[in-house]
Amino acid sequence: MSAQKRRTFKIEAFKHRVEIDPKYAERTWKVLEHAIHEIYNHNASGLSFEELYRNAYNMVLHKYGEKLYSGLVTTMTGHLKEIAKSIEDAQGSLFLEELDRKWGEHNKALQMIRDIMMYMDRTFVPSSGRTPVHDLGLNLWRDNIIHSSKIQSRLLDTLLDLIHRERKGEVINRGLMRNITKMLMDLGPVYQEDFEKPFLEVSASFYSGESQQLIECCDCGEYLRKAEKRLSEETERVSHYLDSGSEVKITSVVEGEMIANHMQRLVHMENSGLVNMLVDDKYEDLARMYSLFRRVTDGLLMIRDVMTLHLRETGRQLVSDPEKLKDPVDFVQHLLDEKDKYDLIISKSFNNDKTFQNALNSSFEYFINLNNRSPEFISLYVDDKLRKGLKGVSEEDVEVVLDKVMMLFRYLQEKDVFEKYYKQHLAKRLLSGKTVSDDAERSMIVKLKTECGYQFTSKLEGMFTDMKTSVDTLQGFYASQHAEIGDGPTLAVQVLTTGSWPTQPSAPCNLPTEIIGICEKFRTYYLGTHTGRRLTWQTNMGTADIKATFGKAQKHELNVSTYQMCILMLFNSVDRLSYKEIEQATEIPASDLKRCLQSLACVKGKNVLRKEPMSKDIAEDDAFYFNDKFTSKFIKVKIGTVAAQKESEPEKQETRQRVEEDRKPQIEAAIVRIMKSRRVLDHNTIVTEVTSQLQSRFLPNPVVIKKRIESLIEREFLERDKADRKLYRYLA
Amino acid sequence: MEEEEAGTMVHTNFYCHLGNWGILKKLEQWFIPISMSPWKLGEKAALQALKANPYVDMIVVDGISLLCTDLQVDPQDIVMLVVSWHMKAATMCEFSRQEFIGGLQSLGIDTIEKFREKLSYMRSELRDDQRFREIYNFSFGWAKEKGQKSLALETAIGMWQLLFAEWHWPLVDHWCQFLQLKHNKAISRDTWSQLLEFAKTIDLQLSNYDEEGAWPYLIDEFVEYLTENGIVQRPQN
Repeated sequence: MSAQKRRTFKIEAFKHRVEIDPKYAERTWKVLEHAIHEIYNHNASGLSFEELYRNAYNMVLHKYGEKLYSGLVTTMTGHLKEIAKSIEDAQGSLFLEELDRKWGEHNKALQMIRDIMMYMDRTFVPSSGRTPVHDLGLNLWRDNIIHSSKIQSRLLDTLLDLIHRERKGEVINRGLMRNITKMLMDLGPVYQEDFEKPFLEVSASFYSGESQQLIECCDCGEYLRKAEKRLSEETERVSHYLDSGSEVKITSVVEGEMIANHMQRLVHMENSGLVNMLVDDKYEDLARMYSLFRRVTDGLLMIRDVMTLHLRETGRQLVSDPEKLKDPVDFVQHLLDEKDKYDLIISKSFNNDKTFQNALNSSFEYFINLNNRSPEFISLYVDDKLRKGLKGVSEEDVEVVLDKVMMLFRYLQEKDVFEKYYKQHLAKRLLSGKTVSDDAERSMIVKLKTECGYQFTSKLEGMFTDMKTSVDTLQGFYASQHAEIGDGPTLAVQVLTTGSWPTQPSAPCNLPTEIIGICEKFRTYYLGTHTGRRLTWQTNMGTADIKATFGKAQKHELNVSTYQMCILMLFNSVDRLSYKEIEQATEIPASDLKRCLQSLACVKGKNVLRKEPMSKDIAEDDAFYFNDKFTSKFIKVKIGTVAAQKESEPEKQETRQRVEEDRKPQIEAAIVRIMKSRRVLDHNTIVTEVTSQLQSRFLPNPVVIKKRIESLIEREFLERDKADRKLYRYLA
Repeated sequence: MEEEEAGTMVHTNFYCHLGNWGILKKLEQWFIPISMSPWKLGEKAALQALKANPYVDMIVVDGISLLCTDLQVDPQDIVMLVVSWHMKAATMCEFSRQEFIGGLQSLGIDTIEKFREKLSYMRSELRDDQRFREIYNFSFGWAKEKGQKSLALETAIGMWQLLFAEWHWPLVDHWCQFLQLKHNKAISRDTWSQLLEFAKTIDLQLSNYDEEGAWPYLIDEFVEYLTENGIVQRPQN
């Protein structure tokens, strides 16, 4: 090159420009050009990096950067064109391999070239706004190879074809795929533009086709399994040879085509859709549906809505089916079972999703309240459990059962109706001594108190207190009597405080002489210790154990109601009595008397009396005889007049009427409370406020509220505003 | 009008208070004691009777008939209601002395002729919206039994028919029919007064009737009755 003159080493500033003649520049360039050729021809080993670097440096230094750069472009382009040809000529599967190989080589070459041109890269390039060498190399590759007309579409088609085949189950060269896609990624937007976009389009049509086909031949569960599989496949594909950014895009395509587009059809598929899965407890399928539908807009909403509709419909059928309503205990058990079933489904398959829990709750609340006997039936269920159902059950299990019942209780809109029935049933249990566990009873009261407050349970607790006190009173009574009782009848008394007990007081009937004595003794004793109180015998309740001797000296012990005792004792003095005579002697009310006589004379195995005529119904001119011929294999015979546990229609009406009457003062109290604090209020706001204040007990009827307001206006608690008739004003 | 009350006499001092009023003579006639009707009035007897019952001073049935005859007006004429209103009479078919005298004074009446003239003025008052409303609302307290809070249905219906003959409300007959069919109980003051508002503001197709409009429930039921029986076709919205 240039001769190196020996001189003393001195650093001087450039004093003047040193122009090199163009021929020199041309020569320098030629060296570099040659080097590039060599590099592309894999003959780089023979080159001196230092020399080449220096040459490039000098060119730039002497203001031949432009020549250098454009020469570089030309040379590289030329090589790339050759490379393109060789790739184009590759056959079949060799196409991608060739592309991959050449890409690798190009990169290596590019690196070397860049190193050589580093000075230019750092000075000329930025100052002239040119693309840096590395990027230049990539761009040239892109323009000449990837976007070459013969390669561009072929490349895309090859890639898509391979993916398609893999989807169809073939094994493909993933490593090669990875390299190619990586190459595309390195080329900037090429990956997205040239590959990803068409890839997504093709995938969409692939999955559209596949989903169409599958939905025709698969049932819902199968289809979902296949969809799930496809999704995981695609995710795996991305991780192996696609850009990670593609994952969310491709999964969204699959979700759209396979799930979103067929959601309706899947959910409603006959014999295998959502409803079938729910009915058959297909936890796995449901879980899969949940996790797949979660991915698409409104997917979970659809599941939830269909589930809610189904629940409401089955619930509605359950509460309106007269067959199911025959046995209240059974009915409630069905409700509990249904709740358990869905709780399990939601926990196992729906991820304990709160929105599903809410849907479940609102559905139960909806259909339980469709039947206005639900409060009564739930109370009967508890009654059954506390009478016998919970016998021998451990404490924890008792709690579990009661807690489940409380859950149903919470759904009731008419909690005050439940309260009324619960009181009635509790009273019966306590008075007949038929409760399986005092602790369980107490536990239930506590739960009700926690849920509804003190007022709800104060009277119930009063009943328990009365029972306990009665025991003490009775003990005191017998202690005070010493030996005076002797052979006479034994008396067991429960003293009930009026007001705590739901029982209707009745006028006492005529008691048999045999027991009047001891009854009076008790009365005297009690009133002696409790002055100022009044006692009334409730002869419509109570039981008696009577020893009876029949023909052939058969002795039996009869357990009967108080009324029945009064009737039977009459037969101690006579053998025959007419209906009228019995009525007169006992003064038992007619309807009760008829029922008692029926149970004493017309029931097989319990007919201690004989009736003439032998008809089933009691007529006023019937005659009754002591049935000498009565037999029973049991010594102790129980003759009940147990009324059906479920209320008869007239009783039901009565109870409901009482409930309605009880609600009126509660509504009025609420109105007064609200008006006292707000002073002036419009009608609709009053209705809203009253409803919200009372909703823990019952749902007040807006018409009733209006009537109460008018009643309060009449009694001058409220008045209408003079200017605006829709406003009410509190009158102090 | 059928009522009976103890009657009284006019006190001699009364004459002095009234001074020159030409009605004096008439007053004497109108305040007739029922217990003494077959007897002839004498001042001494009047004084004695008054000493016995100093506070019972009323014009009642017979007195009112006489009054109406003198006024040349039918006792069932609605103008008597307007008269009662002016007099702030507490109950129909009777005027206390205070009410009657006070009313005459406020109306500026001191002769029978003036009284008769005032009648046409009083009739015209019924045309005035505000006056009619006052008279309407007044008539509730006036028509009901003393000591009762509500107005007996029969009486209420009679009053409504009387009043709505003056200010025409086409639905009045249906209203009365509805009450007899479905309600059959006394009418509260609130219902009475709100009915006029209803009649005045709600059109005959009930198109501007608002269920949330805080109308008394009886009126809500009336609207239901009208629509269910096809008497009114409410425009559906």
